This record gives sequence, C-alpha cells and structure tokens, in this order.
Amino acid sequence: MTQLILFNVFNGLVVGAFYALMALGLSLILNLSGVINFAHGGFLALGAYLAYTLMPYTGFWGALVVAPVLTAVIGLAIERVLIRPLYGRDPLYSLLLTFGLAYVLEDGARFIWGAQSVPYPIPASLTTPLSTEFFFLTGYRLFMVALVAVAVLGLFFILNRTRLGIRIRAGTLDLETVSVLGVNVRVLRNLNFGLGIYLAGLAGVLAAGMLGLQPTIGTSLIMPSFVAIIVGGLGSLPGTLLGGLLIGVASGLTTVFLPSATEAVIYVMMGLVLLVRPRGLLGEEGRTQ
Amino acid sequence: MSGQDLLGKKLSRRTVIKAAAAAGALQLTGPFIISARGEQPVKIGLDNPLTGTYAAVGKNELIGCQLAIEQINAKGGIVGRPVELIVEDSTSGDAGTAVQKARKLIERDHVNFLLGNVNSALALAMADVSSEKKVLHVVPGGHTDAVTGATCHWNVFRICNTTQMEANAVTPSLIKNAGKKWYYITPDYAFGHTLQAGLEKACAKAGGTKLGADLTPLGTTDFSSYLIKAQAAKPDVIIFLTQGDDMVNALKQAVQFGLDKRFHLAGAQQELEPLEGLPPEARIGTWVFEWYWNQPNVPHVKEFVAAIKKKTGRVPTARTWFGFASTWSCALGANSAKSLEAVKIAKAMQGMKLPPEVALMPDTPYFRAGQNQLIPNLYVGHAQAKGPAGPDDLFHVDQVVKGPDIAGTLEESGCKMTWPA
Repeated sequence: MTQLILFNVFNGLVVGAFYALMALGLSLILNLSGVINFAHGGFLALGAYLAYTLMPYTGFWGALVVAPVLTAVIGLAIERVLIRPLYGRDPLYSLLLTFGLAYVLEDGARFIWGAQSVPYPIPASLTTPLSTEFFFLTGYRLFMVALVAVAVLGLFFILNRTRLGIRIRAGTLDLETVSVLGVNVRVLRNLNFGLGIYLAGLAGVLAAGMLGLQPTIGTSLIMPSFVAIIVGGLGSLPGTLLGGLLIGVASGLTTVFLPSATEAVIYVMMGLVLLVRPRGLLGEEGRTQ
Repeated sequence: MSGQDLLGKKLSRRTVIKAAAAAGALQLTGPFIISARGEQPVKIGLDNPLTGTYAAVGKNELIGCQLAIEQINAKGGIVGRPVELIVEDSTSGDAGTAVQKARKLIERDHVNFLLGNVNSALALAMADVSSEKKVLHVVPGGHTDAVTGATCHWNVFRICNTTQMEANAVTPSLIKNAGKKWYYITPDYAFGHTLQAGLEKACAKAGGTKLGADLTPLGTTDFSSYLIKAQAAKPDVIIFLTQGDDMVNALKQAVQFGLDKRFHLAGAQQELEPLEGLPPEARIGTWVFEWYWNQPNVPHVKEFVAAIKKKTGRVPTARTWFGFASTWSCALGANSAKSLEAVKIAKAMQGMKLPPEVALMPDTPYFRAGQNQLIPNLYVGHAQAKGPAGPDDLFHVDQVVKGPDIAGTLEESGCKMTWPA
C-alpha cells in the first residue's frame, strides 16, 4: 500500500509538472496583460503538431528545440495582430477573442493533421523503464520532469536577472509607471506573450510523447492549469508552480482510494482553497477583490 | 494612445474563476448539410460525434454514410425518391446536446430516419426520443447491451455488436493466449460497464477470475496511476476496455512503463483508428474487430475499400462499415416495405438479411427478429506493428466467429418488444 502511494505521488509530480508548465505561461500573460488566454491549449497542440511535422527532418531533439520557438513566433504575430488592439478595452473582449481562437486552433489542427491520433515517436533511449521494480520511472518521464525544472529555473532566471524580466515584473505591479519611465509597453507585452506561448509549445512537444497526439490534446490540460493558478494564487508565479504540483499529486493520490473521483478532486481542492483562503495559497493580498 | 488606454482594466480573481467555469463549457455546435438534390428527398439525419474523444470514429461513420447515400441514389433512391443526409454534431459525451440535436432533426428537418450514436449513453438517450416520435432509428456503433436489450424499442435497430457478443467472441482466445487472472481498465459509462460485465460473465464461465477493476472517466489522458494499481494486483492480463483516444493513451503509457514485458496487454473491442494512432511497439494484444478491410476472399470488399480510399485516401475501418451498413439498412427496409412509414419499415426489417455488397463479410448477417440486433461475423485476432498487406494492415485475423454462435438467445438479451397499436 505504501508502495502504491509512493508510486502515485511521483506520478502526480510528473503530471503536476505539466500543469505547472502550462499554468506558468497562462499566468505570465494574465499578470502583465490581463488577458485570460483560453487559446493556451490550442498553442500547446500547435507546438506538438509542429514537432510532429518537423521530426522526420530534424529528429526528436531538433524538434524539441525548434517547435516551441516556432510556436512562440506564431504567438508573437497573433498578439501583435489580434490581441494588442483589445488591451484598452474590457477584459471580456480579449477573453472572447482567445475563446474563439481556441476553436480556430483546434479545428485548424483537425483540418491540417486530421481528427485521428497520429503516432509520435520518441527516442528509443528514453522509452525504456529504468528498472523493473521502479517501472514507473521511465527515461521519458524523468527527462520531462528535468526539462520542466530547467524551463522553470530558466524562467525565474529571466524574470529576476535580465532587463526584460525585471521590466515584466515591474509592469505586473504597476504598468503605468513602467510606461512613464520610458519602457515600450507594447513591445514588453508582445515579448511576454511570446514567452508564455513558448512554454505552451514546450509543454506540447513533451505532452505528445506521453499522451496521444490529437487536436484536443490541449483542451484536457487547460482546465487543470486554470485551477493551478487559482489554487496557487493569482499573481504569484511560485504559487502557480506549487498549485500545479499540488493538484497533480492530489489527483494521483485519489486514484489509489477512489479512482472515479480523480478528476473531481482538483475542483474540490479549488473550492476548498477559495473558501478558506480566497487569495490562493501564495496569492498576494490586495488582488482579491 | 493614452496611458489609460494602454493599461486597460485590471482583472479580478472572480473574473478569472468565471472564465475558468466558462472553459468547462467548451462545446462546439454547427450543423451542416451534406447534399440536397431533386424534389422532396427522403432525409436521413445523422446525430453523431464530430468533436471530442470520438471525433475520429464519428467522422469515419459519416464517410460510410456518404458512400452509401451516393450508391443508393445511383440505384434509384428510397421508394423512388432521392436521399439526402443531414449531419449534426452530437459531441462525444453530452447526452443533452445529442437529444437536442435529435429533436431538431425530427421536428424541424422532418427526417425519415435517424442514425447515431457512437457513444452508448447518447445512443440510449436518442432512442428514447426516436421511439417517442416513432421515427425509424439505426444505431451504427453504440455497443451497450440495453440498446437492443432491456430497453429495446420496435423502431431502434443496431449494426454493431452488443458488448456481450464481443465478450463471448473474444474470451476463449484471451484465456488461451493470455491467461485466467484478469484486471480491467474500464471507461466509466454505459459501454464500459456492460462490456466489463459481459467479460466477467464469459470469463467466469471459462474458469477465469477477476482480480480487480478501475473505472476511468471518459477523456482520461493520464492512465499511469491506474496502471500502477493494475500491475500491483499481479494479473495474467490487463484488459483495456477504453476506446478511441483513451485507448491510445492507455496502451501507449502501459508500453512506456514496460508492462507489456511483464503482463499480457489485451482487451475486447479494438479498432483500426486507435491502432493507427499508436507507435508500432504498442500495437499488441488479443482483440476482437467487428469488421476488417483485409478480407481477400470475401466478395465486394475490394470494391468497397477502393471506393473509400478514393474518397479519403485511407482504408475503411469498422466504423466506416457501420455507417455504410446503417444507411443501406434504411434503404433496404423502406424499399422492401415500399413505404416510408416507420412501423411498416420496422416490420419489413424483422429478420432482414443484408445482401453481400452491403454485408461485406463471409456469412450473411441478419437483423434478429424481436430484438432488431444485427447478427454478423466477428474477427478475433491480434494487433501487429506492420502487416504483409501494407501500412494499414495492423490487425491479423486469427479466427472468424459466426454471430449466431455467440449472440446468446433472444430471452437472454432481455428484450421484450412492444409494438404501437
């Protein structure tokens, strides 16, 4: 029994790392630009399909590098053309836009690559379990967790050590002052959006190695990511990371005792957090109106 | 642009929560009409998934329907009138939407026939509507027993097998190839419940036992926690009853964990769609197919495969055949009744045999009178990474099972049909 619980905790961490990667991108965009990016799952799918398309030419490793960057470039263009004109308006406008965009991306993928799952090969060096006793520690899963950790560290490095990151953080707190100080806010928002979409693309390339690659691959991951943001606390990136890991482990543990509640448990957690600590676990006071 | 314009309004936590709630309601609707020609056409309404988990299989049923419509129109239509197909997206799992679309097809479009659904639960919900409205209804690919069992209706016919028939067909091979101790990974809705119950019954009869079972919600993406539980029970075989993309996810992850080297991974119903989506090393196990495109000695199959390949560039799957046979059954029934009245057609379809160019299998399938269930051949065999007949040959048929041998009796089906006065 303890063994079973340990297995599920580790597995929850793997899944949670995923939710966290998605949620961090969502959170970045939400914090600076006030845009709830419903199309995030669509960008995830786009990243995965781009990798699938590139793979015959670049191999897995090449696709892993190139596909998220391509996704981010598409994200930059979409922000410039579609989302930027809506910044001055009620958040509902951008919400509706990304809501529609989610459908466009999903159906676009269905149109180009088909509704059916496509086989997505991962390198043989990653497919084998490390040992028969710890069979759940496959090379790919460990690799995924490691890469997510690197991505998160990279993100926090960018946010804390680079000029762009410091501006993003400053803009999150007070965009008006940042703008008055001579920072080009439009470029800042554009790059920030691209950074968020890069994370979605990366999550897509990784997810397709573990899940089946079909147009709806992002839809099933986006809800837990929203929950991760709410549980962790709006406005707090460490909170988002914690939220993602927590709901992953919680749903993993639930599988041991009540398998049919695996999905429900994350919403129960969200409800509890909202009741007991409405600003989220690491959320800042003052953004909880 | 002023500073205020640039910054816009701040979002509140409540807005985010509301938005998250809205994301849960992501559903796509959009009717579209496939063809319309001639005056007063006979209308067939297809209410089937085009989005979600079952989008791919739903699409294949649609293609089968379209080919049948073309053939029927080329051969003089239904009671001399041209036929048109009206298509609605039922979604993959929302019974409310499926029912609403069925009502729309019947009340607004006045369809003469209703087809659907891939999802058993949705098929049952649609059958309630069609029987209330007295519209002839053919279920192409929803497998749960009740459709032609406990809740059978005089107007509801079914092409695909009952879950009990699939269980009866595959169990002897599973016991022989994989062993007697079974652990089930079962999708948590009508289809999964009855398929597991059917297998438990057939397995117990053959001397096997159930070590455990987990119900997985439809659309589950991560199966690892279920797989961890299953392997801890040390079964001979892990039985996968999930379908569609859930099947792809479950098998892919099981093979990544190396479980295929420690246990048999197998199941009952398997289809070409998930096998095509799997990496080659995960195309394994003993399964039952309900129709297979590679039947070299069966008449008309080659022509059918060629016609579908011309339309889509791919070989037909069991789903394509379900759609094809469903649509043809409507035409055959109405033409033999020489009427579009549902009761007359349903009477004409009692015991009706499918001709070889529609049947596309070795024996002659027929609708069993008093139950409205098609009794066809089933194909028991194993999945293969790559077959001799090309990249689409992902299944090897070991044995063709005769429907009457595994269908049980009419009494066992639990169907007690009452006809309108």
